Amino acid sequence: MRRVVMVAVMVACAAVAVTMAAQEKKFGAALTLTEVTKVSDIYANPEKFSGKRVQVQGPIVDVCAMMGCWLALGSDKEFETIRFKVEDGVIVFPMSVKGKNAKVEGIISVETLTVAQQIAQGEEHAKEQKTTFDRKTVTGPKVGIQIKGEGAIVF
Amino acid sequence: MKWRRLNNVLHRDVGYLIVGLTLVFGVSGLALNHAADWNPSYRQTQTVVQIAPLTGSNRDALVAEALQKLAITGTPLNAFRPDPDTLQLFFEGRTYLVDTPTGTVIIEDTRPRPVLFELNQMHLNASKGLWTVLSDLYAVALIMMALTGMFILRGSVGLAGRGKWLVAVGALIPIGYWAYTLFR
Repeated sequence: MRRVVMVAVMVACAAVAVTMAAQEKKFGAALTLTEVTKVSDIYANPEKFSGKRVQVQGPIVDVCAMMGCWLALGSDKEFETIRFKVEDGVIVFPMSVKGKNAKVEGIISVETLTVAQQIAQGEEHAKEQKTTFDRKTVTGPKVGIQIKGEGAIVF
Repeated sequence: MKWRRLNNVLHRDVGYLIVGLTLVFGVSGLALNHAADWNPSYRQTQTVVQIAPLTGSNRDALVAEALQKLAITGTPLNAFRPDPDTLQLFFEGRTYLVDTPTGTVIIEDTRPRPVLFELNQMHLNASKGLWTVLSDLYAVALIMMALTGMFILRGSVGLAGRGKWLVAVGALIPIGYWAYTLFR
């Protein structure tokens, strides 16, 4: 009887593990870091993280609708997102990941975006999303932070 | 077996083998080529509905209020506020964008396009792994088809005849376009 219970527990554990593995989906290279960096910390001190490898976690609030080449992750703070950009074709994120959580890893890139660059990005994004972009929302140059993506786990 | 017969047999049989893959890459190639004009993989629709403005003071309160006013009984996968006036509620295949001060809600539905989604995923090699090997083999087969194709016929319609001119014209297309991109 004891053996039967033990086998049943092991089978149940295996079933749970298989289910959990099925819920997790890996994209690109395996994650190597063990420490998760808060997005708000990166925004608070971008220069400190520029060029550094980080692992970030958050909800997927937007996905590149055309080629699946980027994700926007929500920060631990409200009103803050960070873009996880991968080389075209290296990873193709399906739209079905939108709304799920992701743990991503890559190199932080910090650059100053000119007004023209922000308008171009905004208009491209609006075209993808079939919305409109208000140029008046761009008031001057701004620091753009993104993660040059290598690998991600969606769960 | 003489080399030309072997060449023709290879061209014929490899040709038969790659009909399916050629259709996959051809159809999806046409679709993806125009990704700037339409979304080749997903059908996205937007519906606008109106609810009363949301008055909650924090995210959790806003989420509960939005769910109640939208008569949604399920639990969202996630909720996020990209700016102080917007609340996003995420469900499988559906996103609600609530403009909290006005109560205007944009409901975005995203569905994969039947067949085309799968073809595009294959073209973009989304799954990697085995598909990388298969598409490499397909690329090798295409090269083989091009090379063996030149030697199928002999005489005036073969490579020694008008074939060489057609090959030259075909080769000039990418070379000419490359030169054009350098100087435009």
